[in-house]
Amino acid sequence: MRFTYSIILGILAAVFIFYLTDIDDPIDYSTQVKPILNKHCISCHGGVKKNAGFSLLFKEEALADTENGHPAIIPGNASESPFIQRLKETDPEMRMPYKKPPLPKDEIKILEAWVNQGAKWGKHWAYEKITSVEPPEGPRFASLDTEEQPFFQNEIDKFIYSGLLEHNLTPSNPADTAILLRRLSLDITGLPPLDRWKENYRSGKWSYEILIDTLLASENYGEHWASWWLDLARFADTKGYEKDPPRAMWRYRDWVIKAFNENKPFDEFTIEQLAGDLLPNPTNDQWIATAFHRNTMNNTEGGTDNEEFRVAAVVDRVNTTFEVWQSTTFACVQCHSHPYDPFKHEEYYEVMAFFNNSRDEDTNDNEPNLRLYNKEQEADITEISNWLKDNQLSPKEISREITFLKTLEPKISPDYFSDFHKGELIDTKWLGLRNTGHCMLKNTYVNDADQIIFYYNAYQNRGKLTIRQNDEKGEILAEIPINKTGGKKIEIFPFKPKKGYQDLYFEYSNPALEEQQNSFYVEWLAFHKSLPGKDKNEYPSIQQKFNKLLESTPPLQPVMVENPEHRFRETRIFENGNWMALGEEVHPDVPESLNDFPADADRTRLGLAQWLVDENNPLTARTLVNRIWAQIFGQGLVRTLEDMGTQSDIPEHGKLMDWLSHRLIYDHQWDVKALIKDIVMSGTYRQSSKSNSKLRSVDPYNQLYARGPRFRLSAEQIRDQALFVSKLLSGKMYGPSVMPPQPEGIWKTVYSGEKWITSEGEDRYRRGLYTFIRRTSPYPSFISFDAGSREICEVQRLRTNTPLQALVTLNDPVYLEAAVAMATQLLEQRPESIDSAIERAYKNATLQALETEKLTPLKDLYESSLQHFEENPEAVSEFLDYYKEDFEKSKKIAAMAVVCNAIMNLDEFITKT
Amino acid sequence: MSVEKLLKEIGDRKAQKSTRRHFLFDCAAGLGTAALGSMFLSGCSNSKSEKLSLSARELNPLAPQSPHFAAKAKRVIYLHMAGAPSQLELFDYKPDLFKLHDQPCPESFLEGRKFAFIRGVPKMLGPQADFRQRGESGAWISDNLPHFSKMADEVSFLKAVHTDQFNHGPAQLFMHTGSARLGRPSIGSWVTYGLGTENSNLPGFVVLTSGGKTPDAGKSVWGSGFLPSVYQGVQCRSKGDPVLYINDPKGVNRPLKKKAIDAINAINREEFEEYQDPEILTRINQYEMAYRMQIAVPEVMNINDEPEYIHELYGTEPGKESFANNCLLARKLVEKGVRFVQLFDWGWDSHGTGESGSLNYGFKNKCREIDRPMSALLLDLKQRGLLDDTLVVWGGEFGRTPMQENREGKEQFFTGRDHHTEAFTMWLAGGGIAKGVSYGETDEVGFLGVKDRVSVHDIHATILHLLGYNHEEFTYEFQGRPFRLTDVHGHVIKQILA
Repeated sequence: MRFTYSIILGILAAVFIFYLTDIDDPIDYSTQVKPILNKHCISCHGGVKKNAGFSLLFKEEALADTENGHPAIIPGNASESPFIQRLKETDPEMRMPYKKPPLPKDEIKILEAWVNQGAKWGKHWAYEKITSVEPPEGPRFASLDTEEQPFFQNEIDKFIYSGLLEHNLTPSNPADTAILLRRLSLDITGLPPLDRWKENYRSGKWSYEILIDTLLASENYGEHWASWWLDLARFADTKGYEKDPPRAMWRYRDWVIKAFNENKPFDEFTIEQLAGDLLPNPTNDQWIATAFHRNTMNNTEGGTDNEEFRVAAVVDRVNTTFEVWQSTTFACVQCHSHPYDPFKHEEYYEVMAFFNNSRDEDTNDNEPNLRLYNKEQEADITEISNWLKDNQLSPKEISREITFLKTLEPKISPDYFSDFHKGELIDTKWLGLRNTGHCMLKNTYVNDADQIIFYYNAYQNRGKLTIRQNDEKGEILAEIPINKTGGKKIEIFPFKPKKGYQDLYFEYSNPALEEQQNSFYVEWLAFHKSLPGKDKNEYPSIQQKFNKLLESTPPLQPVMVENPEHRFRETRIFENGNWMALGEEVHPDVPESLNDFPADADRTRLGLAQWLVDENNPLTARTLVNRIWAQIFGQGLVRTLEDMGTQSDIPEHGKLMDWLSHRLIYDHQWDVKALIKDIVMSGTYRQSSKSNSKLRSVDPYNQLYARGPRFRLSAEQIRDQALFVSKLLSGKMYGPSVMPPQPEGIWKTVYSGEKWITSEGEDRYRRGLYTFIRRTSPYPSFISFDAGSREICEVQRLRTNTPLQALVTLNDPVYLEAAVAMATQLLEQRPESIDSAIERAYKNATLQALETEKLTPLKDLYESSLQHFEENPEAVSEFLDYYKEDFEKSKKIAAMAVVCNAIMNLDEFITKT
Repeated sequence: MSVEKLLKEIGDRKAQKSTRRHFLFDCAAGLGTAALGSMFLSGCSNSKSEKLSLSARELNPLAPQSPHFAAKAKRVIYLHMAGAPSQLELFDYKPDLFKLHDQPCPESFLEGRKFAFIRGVPKMLGPQADFRQRGESGAWISDNLPHFSKMADEVSFLKAVHTDQFNHGPAQLFMHTGSARLGRPSIGSWVTYGLGTENSNLPGFVVLTSGGKTPDAGKSVWGSGFLPSVYQGVQCRSKGDPVLYINDPKGVNRPLKKKAIDAINAINREEFEEYQDPEILTRINQYEMAYRMQIAVPEVMNINDEPEYIHELYGTEPGKESFANNCLLARKLVEKGVRFVQLFDWGWDSHGTGESGSLNYGFKNKCREIDRPMSALLLDLKQRGLLDDTLVVWGGEFGRTPMQENREGKEQFFTGRDHHTEAFTMWLAGGGIAKGVSYGETDEVGFLGVKDRVSVHDIHATILHLLGYNHEEFTYEFQGRPFRLTDVHGHVIKQILA
């Protein structure tokens, strides 16, 4: 009876509060108003469409005059505001939302009260600065059931527990030791644990924390987390688009692995990837890090416009930067103001202005490239650098010279040539002139250069290329003999110095050629002024060293290099996102609704990177926390991993995210391993992942975390694990990508002679992240398990469950080889019985003891299998792919391999439990 | 084993082992895989009974679904001629272009336009084929397509299609995903995501390529973009495994494979009892489907047993990786309930820089290769009553210029045309398409569309309309906003609807 009263009282109070809200309580824009606007209004009155001249996206737009000359919202006066009137209209032709059911009364009341209170705008939670959060008061330890006590391991659990209380749930028991050990090892290293880790932990020699520290210190940690980052970085081994030829980017992959293993703080990790080239005297590693943004695709299809695809790459860099660090789908803003979030059309191009001055121009040779000199050559560079210092060059000038040595930038690509006669860009890429052909290189900055450097290929002797000032009658500035080169070659020729900018006339003659015959092509050229100090005795030797470095052909790595001032590109708004419809000029800046640009930072990529990792940036830490959480729990605290804007779900555990984000910045100083450790130390993480009917109905997707994570492993993990448990996995790290066996005929692309050449030796068994990724044709079994093609930044791999996946683990020779290897090892250990062999196989794969219910089907399978091989002796050698003289032994290996293959197909094997 | 049986077994086991610590089930009877509306497992712990509802889609992401409204077409066969065939030698008859043959191209054509390879002032190139009007509709079709000419009254032509991409890769992406940039789902993925498939033993979206070559834009033209990867096209091959890893390993026969899958599923059921994770049930279902697929796919991909008159009709030669074989396979696949069959032929890039890529030689051979089989496909679908609700689409990624190509400023020995975005021809036939209609006109030389131009988005809107979808409302939520195949564009081309 008393119970009923309290319910009635509760309802009355709720009704009362509701009406009170109507009148007095301040309405919160972000949590109360914005969701209603986003749901019902903004698709017609927002960033894309502004019907009747009314938009609710920005305050100034919403309060401005609409097409009828009057504002729709009059702050402080809801009854006079057409915005409210139209919601209440009875005439369906007049009522908003147009042609939709009217808004619920309580929502209208909220909007009405909001207008009456002055229509105050507010910030979306994710755009608010991260401030320190107090964890909820945990329950008193003594008051807990003994079952609940182990749950409380750190602050995370207090947040989670308070959420569970609200939903009348209790935490699950801790997972079994073996399960937790496997879970932890897979999460931190991507692989099952090593035997000695298992022993030390199980025997109690190691605490849970020591186990974590050991796993974090393992080099496999860097490999596993690099796999995740490489999806974001859209790392691949080819250029993409039609021809999709190889491009050596693996040094960047190795940089990422090392950065994780060294535990490079995330702010440095960010700055080096976005702007390592702009740091003072960048190291080669810092330069290689900038390949993050050279993972953009490069279109080498004949007939493509390099400027179009240069712009496409720059656009991709803008979008990717905001996806990766800001959980913001900035791509929308390319064409119009963001439909929901407070980002304006012009702000997109202001951000683009940071990226629009890198040297790359979608050329065939991936310029700019870092030239990876050997040790002796690096010593020569140091010597040259000292020489420059001794000859009074300023640090800026020295840096320019060193950049030139290391990259040969700035180069001039054939795209800059015009006015062709008897010549053209060959395959629209390379400069080529026929006999008596000529062309122009206009308005070129030569600035007293006395060297011209060509990268070219000539296949006939007796040619001559003449360069004149202005036109065919102009002064001769260079006469270059063109003879057979036997392949592409870099060569320096003398050039008559001229001031500033010049129009240059290029003519070619080779009387030996037929009318339509080409005899050479130029990939790029560059101008350079020889070194200072000509009066000194050592000069010739220094200049010779310089020339030798230039003409050498060391390995290349695409990197970012900034334009010098004389090649500066202005950035203009693209009208409607069309790169050919240029609007007003803009300058580098960041969106107004986010933190201010740091006062002391340059308006360069470096400044932008510093802005991203500034403690005032509201999104970087939240984004990182959310995504690392998702790697471990299978879903983010904000479920839309790619987007934390106003359309994202309101997180159930927003406070926890802010607590972790604040801790990451201030307590951990961007230490990523510490963040991971916090998460896996929690009692929340250590729970059993068993579900039950209550959890299923209250929390089907485990968003409240009353149980541990349980989800399928990634494509790479599934293969790595199979190789690991069969002891085939190679521990070799780094280096060029490898080609493990894949079926015949996967690589059949137009215009491409590229071949998949199956790797030999241990390279067949490397971890998945070393597998060669061809964007137009990725490794097939990875695709089946939802790995992407790395063409664009991928924040989240959707997890599917398909029959094609079953076919991979059942029939792909990689998995069969693993099964045979495992079976061979088992039988070599001379088990006492088949039962114990199967038990051992199962334990080896899953770390768990095999229950009788599970043993029976496997044993039946072994017996059927053995019978099959006994009845079909030829099947044994077919299946094992080799013939063993000892049939008795071979048939058992084959039968056991069938069982091992079944074990490697079990849900508990391909799932993190 | 069907899920129905599986559920029953779980129920039976509960009765047998009521003392077990595991959580147990019984099930609502009578719901089988064939008509999975939704599956209910009612739990029974502590006498409290709650329901676990697994929708058909959770159990099988390709389970069939109804579209927005009644559809005219239930399935699609899309024939893409990669490289872009010349409309001026096939369907867009321009007698005036003869008169301008070898004349310099008018400046007005070149001003402000970019071409892939044409530089400077090229010469006009008269039609390189003879044309005749065909059938009652009087459609102009060149002598390059003698068989297809007889089908003129079955199809609707779009004579003024335009695109905004003049390179193969981006243009193919645009044609198949509605965007020239990567990351969007292909039409086939959208359609299978929407409608699912009628035959769960076969992939819902099948891709067949002539001679095994992939299109310029790579596998993204049948990729699933941001849709779950289960909706991406599955490439079926005439050589090697018809679907990757579909064949059992050597030395393993079907009964043994069956035993292995039974063992895996038996243990997975144990695991489900313990963990109650619905993903495990889905996995059990997927292993059963995989087993059935291993039988169904090789069966449907085998054309050896087709009658002689069918081989005669299509011009098929079993064992080859040809367009003809793929046309016959397309018919077999849709007959078995596959939702979307995408064919890619290649070699249509007739620049005239060599014999095989010239209008005077290679192009004619390509026409011979497709003429009989694509006509046979329409006839065969028709005689089986399938054409009424199967939509057939034919086209390239763009058209070709009325100008002769002059690559690198040189005159060419062979004749060829450059890439052209302004106007080209596509045709559609079957489910919901009018017969014998020609829609759209180009100017007197076929350079610009002058009347009833249609965009790539319009074609997508029309395909979705025929399948029962309003393209403006058929969306997928990604990155906080709804995405459409047609982005913010597209109008249904009503004039070619039956």
